[in-house]
Amino acid sequence: MVTATRISHVQLQYSHTIGRGEQFGPGFTYPIHVARGEDDLMYVLCRSSEYRPEGTRIAVCTVDEEYVNAFARGVPQQGPHEYNFEDGSLVWPVNVAISSNGTVYVSDEWLHRISMFTRDGEFIGKWDENVGSGDGQLDRPSGLAIDADDNVWVVDGNNHRVQKFTPDGQFLARFGGQGSGDGELDSPWGIDIDSQGNIYIADWRNDRIQKFTSDGRFLMKFGSSGSGDGEFNRPADVAVDKDGIIYVADWLNNRLQFFDPDGNFCGEKTGEATVSKWGKDKLDANPEMWEERERAPGLEREREFWAPTGVAVDEDNRIFVCEGPRNRIQVYQKQALTFMGPRL
Amino acid sequence: MAEKDIALMAHLMRRAGFGASYEELEARAAKGYEATVEELLHPESQPAIQDDMLMRYQPQWVSKAGLEGQQEEWTYRMINTKRPLEEKIALFWHHIFCTGHAKCEYPKQQNIELDMFRTLGFGNFEELLMGLSRDPAMVFYLDNCMSHKEAINENWGRELLELFSLGVGMDGDANYSEDDVKEAARAFTGWTVTNSIPRYPYGKYEAAFIYDPSDHDYGEKTFLGETGNFNGEDIVHIVARQPSAARFVARHMYNFFVADEPQVPAWQNTPPRDPEAIKMLEDEYFRSNYDIRSMLRVLFNSDFFKNAQFEKVKSPTETVVGTMRLVGDFDMPRPGMNAMTLTIRYMGQDLLNPPTVEGWHTGREWIDSGTLVERINFTADAVGDTSHRGVQAIINRLGSQGDTISSEQLVDGCLQLLGHYQLADVTRNELVALADSEGELRTGTDEFGTRVGQMLQSIVATTEYLFE
Repeated sequence: MVTATRISHVQLQYSHTIGRGEQFGPGFTYPIHVARGEDDLMYVLCRSSEYRPEGTRIAVCTVDEEYVNAFARGVPQQGPHEYNFEDGSLVWPVNVAISSNGTVYVSDEWLHRISMFTRDGEFIGKWDENVGSGDGQLDRPSGLAIDADDNVWVVDGNNHRVQKFTPDGQFLARFGGQGSGDGELDSPWGIDIDSQGNIYIADWRNDRIQKFTSDGRFLMKFGSSGSGDGEFNRPADVAVDKDGIIYVADWLNNRLQFFDPDGNFCGEKTGEATVSKWGKDKLDANPEMWEERERAPGLEREREFWAPTGVAVDEDNRIFVCEGPRNRIQVYQKQALTFMGPRL
Repeated sequence: MAEKDIALMAHLMRRAGFGASYEELEARAAKGYEATVEELLHPESQPAIQDDMLMRYQPQWVSKAGLEGQQEEWTYRMINTKRPLEEKIALFWHHIFCTGHAKCEYPKQQNIELDMFRTLGFGNFEELLMGLSRDPAMVFYLDNCMSHKEAINENWGRELLELFSLGVGMDGDANYSEDDVKEAARAFTGWTVTNSIPRYPYGKYEAAFIYDPSDHDYGEKTFLGETGNFNGEDIVHIVARQPSAARFVARHMYNFFVADEPQVPAWQNTPPRDPEAIKMLEDEYFRSNYDIRSMLRVLFNSDFFKNAQFEKVKSPTETVVGTMRLVGDFDMPRPGMNAMTLTIRYMGQDLLNPPTVEGWHTGREWIDSGTLVERINFTADAVGDTSHRGVQAIINRLGSQGDTISSEQLVDGCLQLLGHYQLADVTRNELVALADSEGELRTGTDEFGTRVGQMLQSIVATTEYLFE
């Protein structure tokens, strides 16, 4: 008799923290999402704010926190209704994804725009901005994921659906629709695709994760509203590693939760941040702050996640969690899985 | 529905909130005046703003790390709340219990303070003062964390009495002495906050109020004629039962909700504009055991309130928020919040960053040549934009009266739909003449919408529209 083997637990080991609050150079300004590029590069999408548009950018650095460059700046406003939405600019950027040839895709939920850049940050082009609810039209696009054929899957937030496009933005397919039933979505946000091509959606306002086949057929769901194990308070993003472990940025519960491939709760992380390399540089330049930290009670709060909006996992089983309000990314390393199964 | 009922409802909603569309006024008038007052006094009966959607599209509002973001977030709440008096009461107490961004360890601490105003602000005045005494933003702003048993800092003790509870004096007499200030400061020694985590590298963290018994002056104090080993709670308790506390709260309420009073420093020697109204509110203060909600109920249901239409100059916040509610703009998070919010600052009210601990001088002091231009430009731009939902509703309503309307119908209709504004005859006649000069008003044309927009712009540029 063959007994199904099931994953009993997953161990995440804290690795390090990347970031500090900066509008320019080494550092981030409200990092809302991250994508891993080749050669240990990270593309960190900084949302910043309307009153500091210079901080809106894609900051490129390595996993070891070496700063590389930044591109795609925010748009200074001229008035309540006046913007210069020139190519390559960002207003409300929300998600970043990288295709196999290194093209960097960025969604902008104000411009309803998908922009494309080379891996070095050169603007390539943008898809037609066709706001609406018809096939291929977008209304506040958010999550992005690239499948094995380099097609681009876009979470179409205000249309409560997911759409599939060719790499240059030609409509291919869609699934979803507003609701709380199986396969229906309510203001979805994040997305990821597993090694089998299945699609995972952070069904944000339904406080759950849903899994679909690559042709949009509903497979499973897990999660409900709350703060207990396996419950969510507006899950913002989802990532799946090569073993099928599912990571969820549980936004307003200020934590990362992780699940086995069947959606069973495996564990959570509430944060273990330490002072980053860039952070140490900043404190060394302001040494009185080292002393202030010594005096300040409650410094352990610095470890905790605050409103994580982005989670990514790479081929080396490293998990990257973006915390906008703290201008940083916490990195965890998944340890070898422990299995409970039949005795050998 | 009688138009006078709608006009009265418009008055109530301007004062207890930030105005309402004509359609909302009709619905509320049908519900009844006193029932509406009760609904406003119990904001929990109405749905709260959907914070999740707010923070999703304006994620920087999660951390509230900067003044601009704080102002945007509060302004958005005031525009979109279905609990208008909840935000208005927060604004009321912010006018009185000022803390300022310019001296704030962690900006979000001021938002926590606003949350306290939204809840305790309707309740018992003594409890509110206790909350304020333990509010980390205030403890830091007025230096009580620098006040020690061996070396007091009088700042908090002084402002507690002068600006937060009693006022310098009333009916020609002083309400407290310099010795009372010092004794209050002694009683509050040991009331402090935790040290702050520095802003680098990951930003600030909330401070906590703590009582440090080792830094408290346990000696005997004499305060407002009473003697004992007073701590801060005792000071607040004694303060709250003073007749001058009742006068202080009543005059502030009258000035904010009813009609412009002289500025606070003049209150010692300048009698209230309406002594009977103040007496009613003072009586209710003691009858209800210092209950703010009870005082507001008396105020809104009183004749002195109902008869005080257009007796008060709108504050910059009321001007901008009221205009946005009227035209239906920023009913969803969208870019442009910063520019819109900055106009409140340019009109003279830098929310969460008042010029001094005394807050802003109100009434006619809001208006000077610079702020007047800001006001008129902003409101005229908004009401002249016929793409706005609220402006479109006005155009459609006026256009439903027939194929043509008269100039009088245009002027009076616009005044009515703006919330039953009243103009001096001479002003009204000029506007009618202006409409006449433009020729016949044919409804259902693009030109009709434009002319309605222009008439609205003319009305909001009048002196009368500065008032509410």
